[in-house]
Amino acid sequence: MDPFATLGLPRRYAVDKSALDRRYRELQQTLHPDKHAGAPASQRALTLRKAIEVNEAYRVLRDDQKRAEALLATLGGQVTDHSADPELLMEMMELREALSEARAERDTAKVAKLAAQVGEQAANARQELAGVFDELQGQSDNEANALQRAAAILGRLRYYRRFQDEVALFEDEALV
Amino acid sequence: MALMQIHDPAAAPRPIGIDLGTTNSLVAYVPLIGGATCVLDCDGDALVPSVVHYSEEGKPLVGKGAQRLTEEHPEDTIVSVKRFMGRGADDPETRRLGPYRFATDQGPVVQFAVAGQRVVTPVEVSAEILRELKRTAEDELDEVGGAVITVPAYFDDAQRQATKDAARLAGLNVLRLLNEPTAAALAYGLDSQQNGLFVVYDLGGGTFDVTILVLDNGVFQVRSTGGDSQLGGDDMDRALAERLLSEMQLPDPRHASPAQVRAALNAARRIKHALTEQSLVEAEIEVPGGVTVQVRVSREELDALIKPLIERTGAVCRRALRDAEARPEDLTGVILVGGATRVPAVRSYVGQLFGQPPLTSIDPDQVVALGAAIHADLLAGEGDRPDVLLLDVLPLSLGVEAMGGVAEKILPRNTPIPASAAQVFTTYADNQTGFDLHVLQGERELAADCRSLARFTLKGIPPLPAGMARLEVRFDVDADGLLKVSARELTTGIAQQIEVKPSYGLRDEDIERMLMDAYDHAESDVATRALQEERTEAERICSATEKALQLDVALLEPGEGDAIRAALAAVREATRSASSSAIHARIEDLDRISKPFAGRRMDRSIAQALSGRGLAELERETAHARGIEPHLGNAKD
Repeated sequence: MDPFATLGLPRRYAVDKSALDRRYRELQQTLHPDKHAGAPASQRALTLRKAIEVNEAYRVLRDDQKRAEALLATLGGQVTDHSADPELLMEMMELREALSEARAERDTAKVAKLAAQVGEQAANARQELAGVFDELQGQSDNEANALQRAAAILGRLRYYRRFQDEVALFEDEALV
Repeated sequence: MALMQIHDPAAAPRPIGIDLGTTNSLVAYVPLIGGATCVLDCDGDALVPSVVHYSEEGKPLVGKGAQRLTEEHPEDTIVSVKRFMGRGADDPETRRLGPYRFATDQGPVVQFAVAGQRVVTPVEVSAEILRELKRTAEDELDEVGGAVITVPAYFDDAQRQATKDAARLAGLNVLRLLNEPTAAALAYGLDSQQNGLFVVYDLGGGTFDVTILVLDNGVFQVRSTGGDSQLGGDDMDRALAERLLSEMQLPDPRHASPAQVRAALNAARRIKHALTEQSLVEAEIEVPGGVTVQVRVSREELDALIKPLIERTGAVCRRALRDAEARPEDLTGVILVGGATRVPAVRSYVGQLFGQPPLTSIDPDQVVALGAAIHADLLAGEGDRPDVLLLDVLPLSLGVEAMGGVAEKILPRNTPIPASAAQVFTTYADNQTGFDLHVLQGERELAADCRSLARFTLKGIPPLPAGMARLEVRFDVDADGLLKVSARELTTGIAQQIEVKPSYGLRDEDIERMLMDAYDHAESDVATRALQEERTEAERICSATEKALQLDVALLEPGEGDAIRAALAAVREATRSASSSAIHARIEDLDRISKPFAGRRMDRSIAQALSGRGLAELERETAHARGIEPHLGNAKD
């Protein structure tokens, strides 16, 4: 499934979220089960399938990571968990160790500092990724190489995301 | 102006909305003229206490009458049954301060042992409340149609399923389970006609929900939802009751009798209510089997007791904001729902948390039932309805138990529903023909910390070497937020037999048996209802099809219109018969014949939406163009 095609939006990394939201609501206006409560069974099934597809496409496009992975897939690339380089693995291991220490000590300031550090790295990676996507969608001299670079950055971003999820978990606990 | 009510025997049954609350329940509907309204009892009260009393013989008593018997018959009078819905007997929630006698200490489902040597499940107790509400509504409406029943947004699948089962048991046709905060937003939104980002803070008797949603010209899109299905006004009562028990001059407050526990809980509730207006309350408690004691509670003391509870809601709110990618300053309004939001400490806390005073223009006790009635009317009412759409989300992640007891998420929380996802598993032994699957719901990393929804055994896998069979397990979540699981083997394409063992729910057979056991469900009643439902369904389908034929003549192929009209006439003819199966067969014919036409209509609507020019937008543009026409002279559309 190509979520860009399902929502009729251009295949680009950058997305206008308010336009995406509008498009999503317009489509659900005609597809949502509530709009077909009075229809016969097979017609309800037909629109339901489509409504689910639109929901899924919307969820993918609204999420920066998932949108990038979907875009890469439409361009012929793929992210794998094995594509991480040893240097990144080391770095992440150290960061996560520091995080669990800070969590155990309930050191909110330290957690916030680590989160900011990873947040900055993620922002840089996303900027780099945008550049590679521009290259891929323009006249790329070495498409295979660009696809690989995009996949590597996305693999890195997955690690950052997991780290940020852990921070969020800590914030939830700390607030209780 | 008083309108005379004319009894029309052919009048369509009226859809209703039900708020099945922990402490109180309500039923509402949308009349032919005017806005949604709650059904009142003979005293003019909309609230029906969610209390059911079982006596030695005779029918159970529901509502105020049952409420009066809580202290005299604490074990036979079930209060706040909602807290037990979809829960196991060994659940810590089940084990909290309360006067009940449980039939079993373990086992999948909670069972109360009540008078008359009866054993009842929370589903059956809730069904009694729903039956009572249905009866009250019938007094006013003659005939009740389908029902929208509200549930806390944070209810998990087992709790939702239990609620739907209770409704079936009460003989209600459930149009939809609707999340309580979304219902409240619907009532507020249609009232205020405002667009923007809203937060609904819903603190009821036993559950807490927070929902963040966008209102955009009749579309209510939930962005995120969060909550705690074990936190509510009841917990405030319990916190205060524990203190009162220690002041009741009992030999050992930890071993108070059921009647003493109930007396303390009732006194705590009264004192909490009084402290909404007063800053100090002095009360007398007649201790069953003891003396009468005087107690003094100040608002500061209550605030201190409930502070930890209120702070728990703050954490949930902050997470919901983060999930919605919103900050407090982005909010257009804060909507308060639930009786417990009357507590002054709650109000001031919410005001501080979101940086603005909350909206309270609609009665927080009634707003959910009113919203449910509006939704029921949208789904099953007649004539032109306002153009409104509710887009909701899955409240808690769904997943399966993976190797090492880790919970693997298949659908994350806040996924828009209806939704569906598939995951492929493989066999780990040669010639393995069965596969166990444990379905979970929750956010925790370990399966043991999540809610167990069901265990599945997939059977009949073709014998293949380990790792060769590929099992696709599909999760489908419908617009009620209810989950269905299906599976098939991919190499052979064979659908698998699934044996479901709901961890805490009832199986379909149980429900059927209970339905048959119920005294007011003799076989003839069931047949009459089936016929009535089939007729209503036929009428709705016919009028929808006629409308489609009128609107989209251009999409019809030659001869197609006549064929559809002939099938329509056959359905109408069949409704005059007394056979529900005959009506059903003609509806199926019509469905088959009109399917290609329906498909074309859907594709056209999608194309319209994708062109970025929905109908509404086209109309606005046309209106705008007409406005500037005179200045442009010969401008064309």
